[in-house]
Amino acid sequence: MSDITLGTITSKVRAGERLSFDDGVALFRHPDLLAVGQLANEVRERLHGDRTYFNRNMRVEVTNVCVASCLFCSFAKLEEGSPGAVTMKLEEAWRELEVRMSDPPAEIHIVNGLHPGLPFSYYEELLKGFKRIKPDVHMKCFTAVEIHFFAQHYGMTHEQVLVRLREAGLGSLPGGGAEIFHPEVRTRISHDKATAEEYLEVHRVAHRLGMATNATMLYGHIETFEHRVDHLLRLRALQDESMSAPARLQAFIPLAFHPDGNGMKNLPAPTGIDDLRTLAVSRLMLDNVPHLKAYWVSMTPKIAQVGLRFGADDLDGTIVHETIYSAAGSTSPSGLKYDQLVRLIREAGRIPVERDTLYNVVREHAPEALPESAFKVKDRKAEKHLVVL
Amino acid sequence: MSALVDRAITAAGLAPIAAARRAGDLAQVRALAKVLDTADLLAVGALADRIRKDESGDVVRIFANAHADLGPDVVAVSLADGTKSGHAVLRRVAIARITGPAAARVRIDWSESGLEVAQVALGFGASELVGPIANRRGLPIADAATLKVKGAGMVSAQALKKRELESLLTMAGRRAVFVSSKVGLEEQPNV
Repeated sequence: MSDITLGTITSKVRAGERLSFDDGVALFRHPDLLAVGQLANEVRERLHGDRTYFNRNMRVEVTNVCVASCLFCSFAKLEEGSPGAVTMKLEEAWRELEVRMSDPPAEIHIVNGLHPGLPFSYYEELLKGFKRIKPDVHMKCFTAVEIHFFAQHYGMTHEQVLVRLREAGLGSLPGGGAEIFHPEVRTRISHDKATAEEYLEVHRVAHRLGMATNATMLYGHIETFEHRVDHLLRLRALQDESMSAPARLQAFIPLAFHPDGNGMKNLPAPTGIDDLRTLAVSRLMLDNVPHLKAYWVSMTPKIAQVGLRFGADDLDGTIVHETIYSAAGSTSPSGLKYDQLVRLIREAGRIPVERDTLYNVVREHAPEALPESAFKVKDRKAEKHLVVL
Repeated sequence: MSALVDRAITAAGLAPIAAARRAGDLAQVRALAKVLDTADLLAVGALADRIRKDESGDVVRIFANAHADLGPDVVAVSLADGTKSGHAVLRRVAIARITGPAAARVRIDWSESGLEVAQVALGFGASELVGPIANRRGLPIADAATLKVKGAGMVSAQALKKRELESLLTMAGRRAVFVSSKVGLEEQPNV
């Protein structure tokens, strides 16, 4: 893409004009990553200044038994009883929270396999049990793919499923399960679960019911840049529809594909440049979604931190115990301490803001001088080479 | 280099140091270097990347041994303090390029930084990578190890990793040259 074209896109962004499909593809293909990052950073700072959000959350995966056979998944086991298959008893799941009540999470994030043998009441009791232990905990549970599975499996509408789960304590929906919407990709990597239209419909219904949601995109496998932009535009269109609803998409989370232990293990691991470029283009294309997460579990804490200069304004949370990405070979830790998140954000020159799930501010930390200034180049003539200290 | 980045470099207060570097006045560059500690990271990176492109070109030399082929023009970016800050790593790399000698060989060890950050560092002034040829989990593997790769039959596992490195560099808009630590032999990419 020529400089003039980037100039055209820059003019559109600064004028608040919506970017087109071709603009999005051009941004993915632009050779100057830092230029694309600069533009995304402009938008990020216009929306949020230096504020960077995170929360105290905890991941629980109560079952990895799953009827779907997604090629990218290293987490799911197809049948109960197969090696590695786990389904928690309700008491075991609740125990995950009970043992952390000295420093409790504000949010519990539950994502599971599509288990064909559990009654719907299992999920209702699961939520109710967590709320009994900590009544103010926010339950961000079950992807749109799971909600669609529940509707099919238990003979209900999406709305009926969501209403019953909300009565049991559900607060909002996480964004997982979106993968890549375009059928050229989706039919190849995840043919036997909710379609793009079904995923989007669950979110649409949730918004109509006043339930906030997030959305994701799994990138870095067999998809093209065109498929990525198509994905972003479908989410942007959904958000346009939901602007008149009582709730909408809160955050978009690009998820890097990790190849270990799954049906696409011949593909290369994700790259830092692709992570940063995808964040930046997402920020520029999704002009109606307020928050963009650099999910440190997916892209490592270091790249996620750099992502705070490429459009992202959120690092997710402490997470505590993550198993889905670790099963796929991610080298990220399974949890970060509160202070580590604050430090990562401060070292990026941003202001850490602890939030709740719905982006209400819990605590805004004071900005602090960058603690990275103690280095300089020293020319040691007696040595063979220069060292940066 | 786009006009947007040019403006960002100027807006970050880096025009004087850029001019000093262009004039080859290293003493002046180093006298002005304090601004690099706090200026916008992407602007600092863009300046470093411009200097790298002008002085060192697009070739990335890759070494398995961090102590290989050391010379007066090598600037090894030390991450020995174990920083977990990707932001700090990239700033160090960029400062090394901007304040280092002309056509410096700015080197980063991916076993310290992580491969993802090392790749991004190539856009912040780095021109050499060092680290073990390794499998995806970061464990060194034997030269002779082979793997069955879908669609490619049995291939050398080390070559596979080299392919991944080459792919990373291609995505970064660069060209890889592997350098043997034993004889200094430069290999063109495996294809």
